[in-house]
Amino acid sequence: MSASRSATGKRWLIGALLYLSAVAVGVGSALLVLKKAPWLNPSAQVGAWRVNLHAGSVDADMYTRASVAVNGLLALGREETMYFIAAQDDSGHALRSNCNYRVKGSAPAARWWSITAYADDMFLFDAPNGHYSLNGDIAKRSAEGSFDFTTGPTEQPGSYWLPTPGKRGMVLTLRLYNPEPALQAAPQSLHAPQIERIGECL
Amino acid sequence: MKHLSAAQRLWFYRGLTLLVTAILAHLLTIWAVPRLIMQVVLQGPMAQTLNMHNRAAFPPPVTAQSRAIVMPSPDLLYSVCVFDLSEGAVRVRAAPQLPNYWSIALYSANSDNFFVRNDRQAAGKPVDLWLVPSSGAPAQDRVPAGAEVVVSPSKTGFLLMRVLASDYQADQMMLEAARRTLRCEAARGP
Repeated sequence: MSASRSATGKRWLIGALLYLSAVAVGVGSALLVLKKAPWLNPSAQVGAWRVNLHAGSVDADMYTRASVAVNGLLALGREETMYFIAAQDDSGHALRSNCNYRVKGSAPAARWWSITAYADDMFLFDAPNGHYSLNGDIAKRSAEGSFDFTTGPTEQPGSYWLPTPGKRGMVLTLRLYNPEPALQAAPQSLHAPQIERIGECL
Repeated sequence: MKHLSAAQRLWFYRGLTLLVTAILAHLLTIWAVPRLIMQVVLQGPMAQTLNMHNRAAFPPPVTAQSRAIVMPSPDLLYSVCVFDLSEGAVRVRAAPQLPNYWSIALYSANSDNFFVRNDRQAAGKPVDLWLVPSSGAPAQDRVPAGAEVVVSPSKTGFLLMRVLASDYQADQMMLEAARRTLRCEAARGP
């Protein structure tokens, strides 16, 4: 009797452990997916930039809603703001804070825009010069209307510099406030800012 | 299945049950994450510190030390309020007179942005909204006739006012005065 009871208990224990493992795999895979993908289910990709047109919207699918909650809580719908996120440079390499990048583009079709550098925890870098972003009000334009700036651990002469101290992953976020209806309808028509790595990473 | 022994069939069903359990746990987590994060926003340390339950609060400009909510914009000045409609309507008012972008956005308890009003839509007029729950008739919430009613999908939620602040230091007085016109309070009736 005692041996039989012991065998039954062992089976229950193994069963409980297996189910707990299954729950852990389910929860862990969900959290991993959300953390690894700044925007899930992108609606469009332009150059290195991805946009999800349902971010912040009541029409968002559950993966988009959860991904936005983890990586960009309290987003606005696309009529108010479009968020393009780049986690890679134009060569397809993941952005790293210990690498220097030059970002070059032209003013997007929106009322107002900004590009901000975030660490991989989606918070701002501790920039000693207080430069966290470049926006349409302060960007200097060339004769052709283009702007450029640099990000990275070292200041590049003559450029507007967003410092990214440390050695970690990072993303760039392009916010477009009140984007033109044509851009909302066709986000792939964005003239995406180019992201080029400068030299070797530190 | 016909060729499987009883023990093999048992393990097959056990494996299937484990797989279904893992999938359900995955989906439940994806569903729950935005709701749990919003609960932290609505009731967590930031809400307690800023004392913003049916009350507008005005956090300082965003810096690298701002770590309450992910992906803060350093170009915007934020004002906030946790609205709670369990006792009736909440009235939201603001009259920011600014030349640049501002908006008032409302978020439900699952993080969806269900309403936004920006400066262009306001066209220079003050914002005056009566926020009511979807389950309550406006009359029960003492909303005056002709008032602009916004129905919230959830009884609690978050208000986020954004004011463009490209150069906060230079425009501090104007920006602070404008955003402090925000009121967010339980309605006392007409």
